[in-house]
Amino acid sequence: MSEILYWQALNQALDAELAADDAVFTLGEDVGLYGGTYRVSEGLMAKYGEWRVRDTPISENSFTGLGVSAAMLGLRPVVEIMTINFALFAMDSIVNMAAKIPFMSGGQFTMPLTIRMPGGIARQLGAQHSQRLESMFMNVPGLRIAVPSTPQDAYWQLRQAIRSDDPVIVLEHELLYFSKGEVDTHASAPPLHQALIRRSGRDLTCISYSRMVPLALEAAQALHAEGVEMEVIDLRSLSPIDWATCVESVLRTHRCLIVEEDCRFAGVGAELAAELQERCFYQLDAPIQRVAGLDLPTPFNATLEAASIPRQEDILKAARALLNLPQGES
Amino acid sequence: MKQAILMPVLSDTMQTGRLTRWNKSVGDPVHKGEAIAEVETDKAILDVEAFADGFLAGPLAPVDEDIPVRQPIAYLVDNREAALAADDGTATAEKASEAAPAKTGANQAPADTTPRATQVSASQATVPTGKEDASVPVSSPPAGTQIPTSPPSPSAKRNAPTTVPTAGNLPRSAAGASPYARALAQDLGLTIEEIQPGADGQIHASEVLAAALAPRPVDLRYGPPYQISKPSALREAVARNMIAAAATPSFRISTRVDLSPLHEQGKRLRLSFTLALTRACALTVAEDPWFNGVWTPTGWVSRSRVDVGIAVDTGAGLITPVLRDAASRPLAELAEYWRILLGKVKTGRLAPEDYQGASFYVSNLGIFAEVEEFDAIVPVGASAILAVAAPASDGRTQLTLTCDHRGIFGADAARFLQRLTQRLKDPAWLQ
Repeated sequence: MSEILYWQALNQALDAELAADDAVFTLGEDVGLYGGTYRVSEGLMAKYGEWRVRDTPISENSFTGLGVSAAMLGLRPVVEIMTINFALFAMDSIVNMAAKIPFMSGGQFTMPLTIRMPGGIARQLGAQHSQRLESMFMNVPGLRIAVPSTPQDAYWQLRQAIRSDDPVIVLEHELLYFSKGEVDTHASAPPLHQALIRRSGRDLTCISYSRMVPLALEAAQALHAEGVEMEVIDLRSLSPIDWATCVESVLRTHRCLIVEEDCRFAGVGAELAAELQERCFYQLDAPIQRVAGLDLPTPFNATLEAASIPRQEDILKAARALLNLPQGES
Repeated sequence: MKQAILMPVLSDTMQTGRLTRWNKSVGDPVHKGEAIAEVETDKAILDVEAFADGFLAGPLAPVDEDIPVRQPIAYLVDNREAALAADDGTATAEKASEAAPAKTGANQAPADTTPRATQVSASQATVPTGKEDASVPVSSPPAGTQIPTSPPSPSAKRNAPTTVPTAGNLPRSAAGASPYARALAQDLGLTIEEIQPGADGQIHASEVLAAALAPRPVDLRYGPPYQISKPSALREAVARNMIAAAATPSFRISTRVDLSPLHEQGKRLRLSFTLALTRACALTVAEDPWFNGVWTPTGWVSRSRVDVGIAVDTGAGLITPVLRDAASRPLAELAEYWRILLGKVKTGRLAPEDYQGASFYVSNLGIFAEVEEFDAIVPVGASAILAVAAPASDGRTQLTLTCDHRGIFGADAARFLQRLTQRLKDPAWLQ
């Protein structure tokens, strides 16, 4: 087992699947010669050739549509969209084709399509390149959405996505590509959609995903010093959601805090809060709270940008408020 | 810069403090170490000292309300303008009562409709604390009890005690309760209306659990008409200590002894009977380590010095000044020390180090000729307490020793009484 970077884990997963199954191929802008904007397909064109690691023109709807057609014909395409912001061009292929064809064909066609793309706020990329949009895709029945937060999950979940007969969006995060973690390529993976408890705690449950998970874990560590034990759940999948893990935890702690980078309004947290209150209402000791991004196009100014999404202090404050504890001096 | 002045923690048992007066007003300059307010704690009135130079800024916490320790009671700012700007003088009471969430709760009605009255009791005004403020009972619902409330009539404003009707309807708590709190309350057989809300005015599971673990409130609904007033901090502290002491497994052992030899020997030496008796007890305690220790969860605590606490009736309640090192100090020094302690009792200025932490206690009701026998409760932290009654018709006085059975067994206690009786019968040792 070794410590590698998130992008390296994705690279290894893609390499392993390309090696294991001739039906697997990847395509997208700059995936070939350049090796991928975030180096995910680095070295793969040399290894598997330009037909299986395919550069495309800037034409998201077309090459995603190509991926849909290839999947219908039995291949296992891995489409890379440079960022989730450009997936807006490919919405017809993703929403009207990939998500619908298995249903509308009465199951005659499967859709073993993987669409990889990074989302999230990086550093000063401007409002049009700082979107998260995961709740938009959650609203499309028929899609699976994996949101790996660790290199290990990136490795596992990309391989599982490629092997899945359903269309899977692997939503990466621009700020996670260079995060480090141990990856065991031999360990057996939990199911693609299973949520994992990253830290146990008795006082409240914090549900999070993607880059907000490390942030929540830091907050949990800070709360530990105050005598508060916050459980941190990493959802790992936004569609479907592993309700069993969330419900079990909330029934234990009776308090739930949701941390999401996406906008608060009609976001992931809204869905989580609604479902969890239905399932846990009589065991809740306080209203479910959300710490989320502000409902505004991301400002370019670095200070404003940082203030537009959850920071550790926001999580600490929300957790203390949820537990009826006095706020520290700040 | 604005810094909060907090309700100080003046003893390890102190959970709330009650301000008896402000020595300074908003905008006044204060110097480091200066007494800016007086606070009544468990057993004493102590000064709140400024921790830095500055100007006092509001909101000032109200006088005569229980304020949790470490809550802000006022602020210190750098200049007078800031001090005056921070407080417009009107919102003081409301803001300050927000700062004391323990006071709020079910009675979150506007101040005028809160059934509360302030009254100076004539009998308590003579309390030898020298502090009239300290004896002002504020009638206000104590935590955890059910008080039928009704809107007070116009005449029943702040100056009259609130008389609570006997057949009042149970009030529905204005506080919301979390679903979990409700479920828990149902499981525990509690009704949500009888639970005091938490700091945010809502009832959570923690409040339900606290209510379940607390002693059941007295149901006053069907009894005679009554009024509720706030006991003094001293009385509340005694009540808390007595509840804590009830957990001590104890037994009693008695004897009768003629105390006149000790009286006479004391007179010869111009020594008060209390001191002579204390000395006798201290010497006897010093002979048996089991009497100079206490059982704790972490182990048996044995002490290297005998400190004897003496129950004193202040008229307003019970207090136990402690004579440190009562076994080996020179008698004259002990007498002087005792005189100082009694002076502090009279002015209500006994500090925690004056009344806490005795190994052994003495309670003497001998001046009440009718009391032929009684026994006392062992305070937490002590090994035993000796109750001294008045002499019976045969001239002998009943002594009853109540012992903490975790450390002391029956035969130990018997031997203790044997040695003590010997000392009392033949007090030639007292010089």
